[in-house]
Amino acid sequence: MPPPETAFTGNDRPVVTILSRLLRRLVSTLLVLFGVSLLIFLIARVIPGDPARIALGPRASEEQVEAMRETLHLNEPIIVQYAFFLGDLLRADLGISLYSNRPVMTDIAEYLPATLELVFLAGFLMVSLGLPLGALSARYRDRWPDDLIRLLTLLSVSAPSFVWAVGMVLAFSFAIPLFPIAGRISETIDIQVVTGFLLVDTIVAGRPDAFVSALHHVILPAFALSLSGIGQAARLTRTNMIATYEQPHVEMARAYGFSERDISRRYAFKPSLIPSLTVIGLDFAALLGNAFLVEVIFAWPGISRYGVGVILQKDLNAIVGTVLIISATFLIANIVVDLLVSVINPRIRLSEHGK
Amino acid sequence: MPADRILEVCDLRLAFRNWAGTTEVLHGIDLAIAKGERVALVGESGSGKSVTSRIVLGTMQDVPGVQVAGKVRFDGTDLAEMTFKERRRLRGREISMIFQDPTMALNPVFRIGALFHEVQKRRDPTIRRDAACARAAEILREVAIEDAERVLDSYAFQLSGGMNQRVMIGMALINRPRLLLADEPGTALDVTVQSQTLELMRHMVAQYGTSLLFVSHNLGTVREFADRIYVMYRGNIVERGPTAAIFNNPRHPYTRALLAAIPRLTGGGIPEIAERSEAFLEPMFIHPEVTE
Repeated sequence: MPPPETAFTGNDRPVVTILSRLLRRLVSTLLVLFGVSLLIFLIARVIPGDPARIALGPRASEEQVEAMRETLHLNEPIIVQYAFFLGDLLRADLGISLYSNRPVMTDIAEYLPATLELVFLAGFLMVSLGLPLGALSARYRDRWPDDLIRLLTLLSVSAPSFVWAVGMVLAFSFAIPLFPIAGRISETIDIQVVTGFLLVDTIVAGRPDAFVSALHHVILPAFALSLSGIGQAARLTRTNMIATYEQPHVEMARAYGFSERDISRRYAFKPSLIPSLTVIGLDFAALLGNAFLVEVIFAWPGISRYGVGVILQKDLNAIVGTVLIISATFLIANIVVDLLVSVINPRIRLSEHGK
Repeated sequence: MPADRILEVCDLRLAFRNWAGTTEVLHGIDLAIAKGERVALVGESGSGKSVTSRIVLGTMQDVPGVQVAGKVRFDGTDLAEMTFKERRRLRGREISMIFQDPTMALNPVFRIGALFHEVQKRRDPTIRRDAACARAAEILREVAIEDAERVLDSYAFQLSGGMNQRVMIGMALINRPRLLLADEPGTALDVTVQSQTLELMRHMVAQYGTSLLFVSHNLGTVREFADRIYVMYRGNIVERGPTAAIFNNPRHPYTRALLAAIPRLTGGGIPEIAERSEAFLEPMFIHPEVTE
């Protein structure tokens, strides 16, 4: 039977609403990035020290410094300087790094994939272990699996990731040498860098042995990085699931004989996922910041370690570039989570002005 | 007549056990429903009528700290002798339930069509989504939903309460259960919608020959609905008998108070009823059954 004709028309094309949502989010993200660039630019300019002098070192003559100030437009008003900066930024030119004597963009292109690889894997572990653990905990509420999971997750959130990183290196690299101590891949393996993600590049190169080696190297740092996130995701999911279990629709599912397994995996899990996912998204972005100590401990050649190096060197161009890139990654992660939430939550997906 | 009974409850007791000890909330309920019969269980909140329906459903037994004694026989088999799995097998196939607030009772992140599919899988695990939806559309038209396809494609929050109640009724009956439990159905809806959907439910139950246990505090709807009534007060049945006898000749003091509590359209203010009365605890009065 065809649907009855009505005078009303509605937006019943969810894909369109998701796209318009994405567009709105992209616009606001660009605005935030613009604000971040202004802020970090101003901070880089107001901190004491002449950038030209820092760049040339203490032995350079006054004339050389003055010439450098001219090339860097440092004698112009700050607004004009910002305009020059923005112009360069749009051409993906972030200047030269003092730390490495290379364009900042080249450095970022080299170090960012390593960090993203680590962070993506950590995020994957957070979702694929944290959510099921939370669901399991809620299903066996106040029984031994719940007690065990709650104890473990409490432990995991009560120490920062670098403590876990040190502990894991000691336990699984020194005491029991199961995993390598440092690096991204075995030194004897030579692999063509295409994407910078070694897990992808090794597959592209058709080298399963190299893939295993890369995975072997990344697993321990990723696990150390994600451990507190796993705990947080599990605890949050448990709380949300327990609240969902009180809902009449779960009683309805039981009344209709749906199995506890199905209830725990689907009927109660899906509605509980919505609040969990938002927080996991924020946690995921926070992984970028936490990655620093883990990168140092595992000698992981990533952007967080690079960022700290350039801060200590007062390498202004590189600092600005790193902050911008990390902010952009943070914002993109937020958009992705937002989209995921709207895919799962029909209330958002189907509302035209969903917020 | 025992052979004709779909449900037989004998001396049912329920207690909650916690650190402070054991609290008995049902003190020996006797209740029977014949095949095709519509029986109402009425009483105030906390009288134990809802937990009674949950015991019949078999979900109460699985709650930690709950102790159930007595016999609950469904079609001659004692629920207590069944395993957890066997009890679950009855639910959604032989026994089904309608809830107080239909919108809250439908999962918010699954489409109505998907829920209908899942429910029909209880009877036929291999049923395909399109076959299940076609069958669901049929039953939705029986509960007076014209644009069944649109409803099946919607989420519960997109439909009105009355619409969801019809969906609930259709869902409860699609597997042709032999016993339908209705726990204060539609109390969350407004009065006109409630009476429309109850009328539909009555019609469907009669047509399918489903036995019904109707749990309610609303004597007005019960009068239109039930063949027989059990009046419950604080974990005991205080009076039972055919609907007409209960309404025309209430014998137990609590039943009288309950009947007096119905506000009249003609005014007279809210009736005054004693909060507690010794008389409410008088023994059960059994009206003689009318045999035809």
